[in-house]
Amino acid sequence: MSDTTGKAEPVLRVQDLKLHYFTSRGPVRALDGISFDLARGETLGLVGESGCGKTTTGVALLNMPSPPGRIVGGSVVIDGTQIVGLPDRELRRNVRWSKISMVFQGAMNCLTPVYTIRELMVETYRVHCGPEALDAARHVNMAKLEALMAKYVRLVGMNESVLGRYPHELSGGMKQRVVIAMALFLEPKVIVMDEPTTALDVIVQAQILNLIKQLKRDLGLSYIFITHDLSTEAEIADRIMVMYAGRMAELGSSEDIFGGPSNSKGGPLHPYTQMLLASTPRLHRRRVSELAFIPGSPPDLIAPPEGCRFSPRCPFAKNKCRQLDPPVHEFGKGHLVACWKAMEESEYERS
Amino acid sequence: MNFNDSLRSFKEFWNEFRKEKTGLVGLGILAVFVILGLVGPFIVPFHGAEAHWRDIDYWQDNPQAAPPVWTNAFAAKKGVPSSSLSAFKVEAETQDSGAVIKTFTFDYRFSYDQPPRDLIVRVPGSGQIPLVISLERPDGLAAEIYRDQVELSDSSPERVSVARNCGQAAVEFVRAQDADLANSMSADLVKPTSIFFSKLGPETLDNPAMLKGDYKIKVKALLLSSDFSVGSPSILVSGHVSGLMGTDASKRDVFTGIILGIRWALIIGILTSVISVVAGVLLGIIAAYFGGWVDWLLTRLYELIYLLPVLPFLIVISAIFKPSIWNMIILICAFFWTGSFKTVYSMTLQIKEETYIEAARALGSSKWRIVFKHISPILLPYSFASMALSIPAIIVYEASVSLLGLGDSTIVSWGQILESALSQGAMINNLWWWVIPPGLMIALMGMSFAFLGTALDKILHPKLKTR
Amino acid sequence: MSAANASVVALDTILEIDGLCKEFVSHRNHARVRAVDGVSFSVRRGEILGLVGESGCGKTTTGKLIMRLIEPSSGTIRVEGKDAVNLDREADFAYRRRVQMIFQDPYASMNPHFRIRDVLEEPLLIHGIGASREERMKLVEEVMEKVKMTPASDFLDRYPHMLSGGQRQRIAIARTLILRPSIIVADEPVSMIDLSTRAEILHLMKTIQADMDLSFVYITHDISTARYFTDRIAVMYLGKIVEIGSQDEVIDHPAHPYTKALIEAVCEPESGRVGIMRELKVKGEIPSAADIPSGCRFHPRCMFATDDCAKDPEPELQEIIAGHLQACKRYNG
Repeated sequence: MSDTTGKAEPVLRVQDLKLHYFTSRGPVRALDGISFDLARGETLGLVGESGCGKTTTGVALLNMPSPPGRIVGGSVVIDGTQIVGLPDRELRRNVRWSKISMVFQGAMNCLTPVYTIRELMVETYRVHCGPEALDAARHVNMAKLEALMAKYVRLVGMNESVLGRYPHELSGGMKQRVVIAMALFLEPKVIVMDEPTTALDVIVQAQILNLIKQLKRDLGLSYIFITHDLSTEAEIADRIMVMYAGRMAELGSSEDIFGGPSNSKGGPLHPYTQMLLASTPRLHRRRVSELAFIPGSPPDLIAPPEGCRFSPRCPFAKNKCRQLDPPVHEFGKGHLVACWKAMEESEYERS
Repeated sequence: MNFNDSLRSFKEFWNEFRKEKTGLVGLGILAVFVILGLVGPFIVPFHGAEAHWRDIDYWQDNPQAAPPVWTNAFAAKKGVPSSSLSAFKVEAETQDSGAVIKTFTFDYRFSYDQPPRDLIVRVPGSGQIPLVISLERPDGLAAEIYRDQVELSDSSPERVSVARNCGQAAVEFVRAQDADLANSMSADLVKPTSIFFSKLGPETLDNPAMLKGDYKIKVKALLLSSDFSVGSPSILVSGHVSGLMGTDASKRDVFTGIILGIRWALIIGILTSVISVVAGVLLGIIAAYFGGWVDWLLTRLYELIYLLPVLPFLIVISAIFKPSIWNMIILICAFFWTGSFKTVYSMTLQIKEETYIEAARALGSSKWRIVFKHISPILLPYSFASMALSIPAIIVYEASVSLLGLGDSTIVSWGQILESALSQGAMINNLWWWVIPPGLMIALMGMSFAFLGTALDKILHPKLKTR
Repeated sequence: MSAANASVVALDTILEIDGLCKEFVSHRNHARVRAVDGVSFSVRRGEILGLVGESGCGKTTTGKLIMRLIEPSSGTIRVEGKDAVNLDREADFAYRRRVQMIFQDPYASMNPHFRIRDVLEEPLLIHGIGASREERMKLVEEVMEKVKMTPASDFLDRYPHMLSGGQRQRIAIARTLILRPSIIVADEPVSMIDLSTRAEILHLMKTIQADMDLSFVYITHDISTARYFTDRIAVMYLGKIVEIGSQDEVIDHPAHPYTKALIEAVCEPESGRVGIMRELKVKGEIPSAADIPSGCRFHPRCMFATDDCAKDPEPELQEIIAGHLQACKRYNG
């Protein structure tokens, strides 16, 4: 039952989500208890190194992890509907693309080359709305669909003629726009985008980011924007969740994570976020001769370390960190951090 | 890589290989084949069979088209297994005149429902020697089977075939018990073995019942002078069932043929497949990597040979040159290398675009080095798989060539056994023991190589580990 | 000799490129693609030059030309004063010791069937360095120390797929060092590596560069990393250099409209950018290199273009201040 009490109710609520990949070597705990809310009209960024679970979170929201993956716990409620436990047919008809859709990583390279854009979009429609929706009174419904496709193609900044073209006739930027249009045109409430600009040229990247910002403003949709690049998140995300080894490290507003203008207030509290920020190259600051890096590599998720998962690489790690998993603590409004050091320092400040 | 390195990587390889069950099965079967191929010629019941495979005289003692011995277990009327009687007692009795009578006594337990087809006695020795062969039956009756004076020689022992030479003796034996019955018999038409081994009575001629029990066969030789001698005779009971796999229409023991064929199957199969695949792979890599006129030349050569009808060519060449099996192998290789050439060619076209090939070039690597150090190892799994999979085809190919009478007549191969089976009507006459073993062997050998190939493929590809 | 070189040819110039062109002919439709269309620059000993541009600008092709992996259609390349285009077999072999390459994909650049030990030994075997296994292994261990992969014995027996992306790239770097080259061409060496390890690799390359006084040609589409690593930057577009100068100059005072657009397009990790549209003074996308626009090749996308930009002959690089050149006629300080 969809909720109509307005903006107060989040359009997406994830609680303690767990997803494991059951491989021959043992279960890989790709997601181990993730919780967050997404308000209507908001863009949440998921950021982290490769293997942190950000892409897995994205596919988990549509409940379509690649086998041998499976959701093993927690809940995902999209627009009032609980996703976990729903059979695949239900998901395909009533949830995917109608409530939540996804722009997959590298999707622009996965457009079947023998179909025109129109045929690809019609197929998407048939898969999610059922072939009956199209066959019954075919002409009427086809016309409606055509109008819908044209509207969204224009919305992503292209001419309708692109519907008659084949994917290989389009440039990289155009293909990405098409893929975005395909994710939008069935008018879902939430759109997940996984590295939508990574494979593009710099200038086209900026153009697509502008497009996404514009869509955000005009359509009032909620987005989940997944990328490994903090700079890109800064452009687009209202709030950012930093993930590490299948868990949340820090979640806060853009100001919480990057610090306010001229570094006056805020700033990341989790050492991982701090180090991630320090290793992101900048173009326009006073020249920093050394760019920071994080030594070591992310842990094996079949047997993650005891205690805080970041402790093996953390320069501030103490015994407590290596033994006990830090709980998620709220520092200031909506700024969540899972770190013993941050907790101790805030207590110290308070006292 | 030095020796320790090779040893270590072999140990690693073996550890990996051990985990592949199919590979172990394949290796096991192959090991059995190799062992049998090596020791086989020494353990088969017929030594020297290979040289005499097409020698009719060598096989004359065997029954013709006899099923294997173990079929007796399923038969209603148990046939007599061919066997050779070896245990005997020797007695020498010296007479007053100085002559020696040597008696060889053989025991034979007869418990079958049909009489032996033949009893063949071979006596070696030297000199003019009177011989008497007699039979003592379980019912107490004794029959003199044979009496003659013969010139013995060691090199070609005197051969007495009871079925052929003792018709008269059989009639006399009957006459001693029942004269009337004997009169109704004719020496030329009776079956001596049937009479000697059945109960005497009115049905002896038409529907004899077998006399089961312990028989004694005595071979007596009279040595008139000390210059004469007589060696140990051998008695062969020629029955209805023979050997582990029966006999074929030319009386040859099929089991012996199969064992002898192992060696040739391995040689022909392995040698041909290895040479042709190695040639095809190398030429494929060279053509694709070097490009230019080398590519042009090799591809044209490939197209030419690929399009040639192999069989007519082989016929012509065989008719002119009468090739031995070794020439045949080379000939088959000359045609078979095309099988792997094209696949390797297209694989190499892809591989040569890989970045690490570019990196090797950037380092100054010569083209040959890239071919052997970089590209070939990648094609190793495909090569092994290709070798394994081409072996059954090669064996059958050789058989087809043999079918046309173009095979090497100095060897015994499964293909040839199959060929003779088909051409001498094994199928029509239901001689299944002649057809199934060679076919089964070909399939087994092919299967073992296929298993090996699959297991090797999994191991030699370091990336192909399951998630 | 072009303007780009006239001002910077110094005694310790190690690499000199003049009017380099490379044209490809497509098999299918016989289209002529001018991937590199008259590129000139020079690199001094111990200097790092960045070649920055988007896809299709010809930076990778230029790198391959320098590496002699492909042959130029015209133009000259001089390394340490000697011609590097027309070389006989012996000279080519010797050349490959002086000039090495780091490839973009750290996994694809190593044969997956080779152990790390074999990967690093290969250059030595090819060039006949080291009389025995022990000698070669010593050199291998030396170079692994340089890239901080110690203890070497931990890594020597592994296959590439057993290492992380960053580790593989370090081995790739080690492989370039083992022959003691003078020039290293690095083609997008960190773009396929995790952000958090990128700095580590760049830092390593910088340390080694200073240590061994190496010259680098650093090819990248990411101008931000160029800031950290290069001394000078050349911006390429559709096969030509449109701007070249010290990295301070090019990044802080870009002159060519394309450079300006590139810099404007870069995202920064700062708050307050959400909801603010970037002002990109460039329209459309990069045209195909088979169909290069007339006049200034950037004019169809340039917001400052006038009619003359399409009609006039292609602009040459002009010096603004010492060492900083750009190729836009409309530029006026």
